[in-house]
Amino acid sequence: MKQPAKLQRAVALAAVAALAASLGACGQSKDDGDKGGGGPSGAAHADTGISVAIQEPDHLTPGNHYSSYEILIAVFSPLTILNDQEELEFLQAESVDSEDAITWTIKLRDGWTFHNGEPVTAQSYVDAWNHTAYGPNAWVNSGQLRNVVGYDQTHPVEGEPTATELAGLKVVDDLTFTVELVGADRQFPFQLSDGQTGLYPMPQAAYEDLDAFDKLPIGNGPFKMAKAWESGQDVVVEAYADYAGPAPTISQINFRTYIDTDTAYTDALAGEVDIAAVAGAKVAIAAQDFGERLHSLDAPGVDFLGFNPADERFSDVRVRQAFSMAIDRAAINEAIYSGAQIPSTSLTASTMPGSPEGVCGKYCEFDPAAAKSLLEEAGGVEGAVEILFPGGWGLEDVFEAYANQLRQNLEIDVTALPATDWAEFTDKIATGDYHINRGRWGALYPSQQDTLHSLYTAAGDGNFATGGYSNPQVDALLAAADAAPTLEDSFEGYRAVQEAILADFPVIPTFGNRYLYVTSDRIADLHSAAGSVRFAYVELAG
Amino acid sequence: MRTAAKAVQRLAGLALVFLGVTFVIYLAVFALPGDPIRALAGDKPLEASTVAALRLKYNLDLPIWEQYWLYLGGLVKGDLGADFKGRPVLELMASRWPVTIALALTAWALEIVIGLAIGIVQALRKGTVIDHGLLALTVLASCVPVFVLGVVSQQVFGVKLDWLPVAGVRDGWPASYVLPAGVIAVFGLSAVSRLMRGAMVESLSADYVRAARARGFGPGRVVGVHALRNSLIPAATYLATDLGYLLGGTVIIEGIFNLPGVGNLLFEAIRTHEGPTVVGVSTALIVIFLITSVLVDAIHLGLDPRLRRA
Repeated sequence: MKQPAKLQRAVALAAVAALAASLGACGQSKDDGDKGGGGPSGAAHADTGISVAIQEPDHLTPGNHYSSYEILIAVFSPLTILNDQEELEFLQAESVDSEDAITWTIKLRDGWTFHNGEPVTAQSYVDAWNHTAYGPNAWVNSGQLRNVVGYDQTHPVEGEPTATELAGLKVVDDLTFTVELVGADRQFPFQLSDGQTGLYPMPQAAYEDLDAFDKLPIGNGPFKMAKAWESGQDVVVEAYADYAGPAPTISQINFRTYIDTDTAYTDALAGEVDIAAVAGAKVAIAAQDFGERLHSLDAPGVDFLGFNPADERFSDVRVRQAFSMAIDRAAINEAIYSGAQIPSTSLTASTMPGSPEGVCGKYCEFDPAAAKSLLEEAGGVEGAVEILFPGGWGLEDVFEAYANQLRQNLEIDVTALPATDWAEFTDKIATGDYHINRGRWGALYPSQQDTLHSLYTAAGDGNFATGGYSNPQVDALLAAADAAPTLEDSFEGYRAVQEAILADFPVIPTFGNRYLYVTSDRIADLHSAAGSVRFAYVELAG
Repeated sequence: MRTAAKAVQRLAGLALVFLGVTFVIYLAVFALPGDPIRALAGDKPLEASTVAALRLKYNLDLPIWEQYWLYLGGLVKGDLGADFKGRPVLELMASRWPVTIALALTAWALEIVIGLAIGIVQALRKGTVIDHGLLALTVLASCVPVFVLGVVSQQVFGVKLDWLPVAGVRDGWPASYVLPAGVIAVFGLSAVSRLMRGAMVESLSADYVRAARARGFGPGRVVGVHALRNSLIPAATYLATDLGYLLGGTVIIEGIFNLPGVGNLLFEAIRTHEGPTVVGVSTALIVIFLITSVLVDAIHLGLDPRLRRA
């Protein structure tokens, strides 16, 4: 059944190639429309299209999604973006300037359009941002606008909003708008990059039917939706002919949803899907199966362990430091991740610009003897200690390893405790029903600011994972670092922030993340920045 | 008059069963540990104000009976509610049922054809190496965990031999369904073939078959008509019940083979505490079980004329 289909495809491809050659060049053919049901297998491969394994998307509205990033970065273009060298470039923005780091002027490039032909204007941004920031809409990425003046009125912590629009946004002309921030922030241009989808623009057409837009978003990016997304089916995007940014190298992307990532892996093995993400713990087998076609990307995420602030046993900083010193990160990395993750020596991912590697010092180094004596000095830990983590996400092995090492090296009773699912995991932390918790933060933009603010300030989205850590001295140091006039000064500032936090040692930094991808032999190279693949600019083989 | 009253009584009973079952399911979803809204965004938790707005939107702050009342109100109007992603449950089910039905029917057909054939061959070759060999084979195959069988068959037929797609439904029927349906059928095979073998062995030594032979009917007619029809009852009963079970969606198989069917929908919905989806799918399943039990009765009547008189 399948063999002939494959043959058919090969013949068809050969025919197309011959035709193209005989015509002497021409660009991408536009004939790869709908192949219809029951068509040849891997129909997505026609022409220069690729298929990418993803998990079922949730929403396709940029201000309201949490698991559709791969699709959104194809359909939308952000104001700024990281290039291959991890430097910030302007994409939809022509410039982003500020005198005082409080009021920012954003100028857009002229001639950009949404996929329905509507020009991308300053109003497209201001309207979209206002919509995202309006509390009753309950869009999940609203927090990305928290530092814009007026957010406390459109999205108050409690009670009804007193404004429908952010006071800090002003349209100057068709292509210019200004953003007034609550405090000075030199990192603002980084916040405008691709990870913060809440800051993408939306066309006027979207507001006519937001439910329809959620299934069939109209963006300003290199690809447009081929048809509305339907649950359980591929999401297909095709190159947008009038895209004003750098032209993509491929004509079409089939985002194929998988329920089980292991199935995506097997499909990649059979060459049925071109790019698939692989769980960290599968790295050894993936290296064996895929060799060169296993790609390991430095990612801006960090793993750590947090403590329940209400548990008196951990209130002495020496106890927390002793726990950290009793974990052999290198051994766990070898045994479980085949060395693919990065043992932490700071609070941020080592690839984060200016990350002060080594700032954690001896407390992030494995020293069981010192750990044991430090714990004894602090009076030890009585009773059972449980490390809570969400079950069913392939984390079982690594948490068993943490528990084993703490148990053996500190001679205390430690076990790894899986929660049944995310709901139970977050609920147990919210209600204080835990001892030690799994923590992770994936930074949304390439600045230490995101990780440090989100985890170590009271207003941060990830603050619950660090036991609600906050310290006025840290807040002040952060504000100073955010306002630092140059990048180098900000690095100095964030180092001081990390030193101050680590003096309190609220968490055990464990690993910086690497994301793993496997590819079919149709892919020559993946281009990526900050751990995310630039699907539009994938290099095809041959 | 009497039949009308009886029908009304029967319908009222069904309505009560329906209400009771849906309420219990609603209650069960509600009782799952953890706050569904808080877990919506994985490890990027939502702001308190966003959580509050979402809880309001999905009526999660109301007491359980009031939520259920609202759900029933929608149901009367043909509205099965929507999940947390804003997709109508009716639409979700409509897109998932065709996959599960195609999978179930394919698996069922394989069970019937192969299962009955194995049982008949065993009965005709009773006590021989073929009989024992087939028995050992079917029992062994059904003892392998479904997960293992699924993954191994993917590796062999999808990756190594490259005959069939590893996963997904984009090659349509039959290519995309043969492998998962085959794996499911393996588990039904041993039951179907054993039931068939037992009944067939019994019929073959029954008086009426001996009489038929004595009258000089050929072996084809004796086995195919006289023995077969009477031997079908146990296997047919099993198969009819099994169809109901298969139509419920096989969560593990749909997961391994990435088939977007109802089994998956239900699994995801339970994982994310999507009350309306769980109740909607389960209700549909209850209806299917009711229909298949009627089907079982009908098959009995068709195969066993004695029941028609009673």
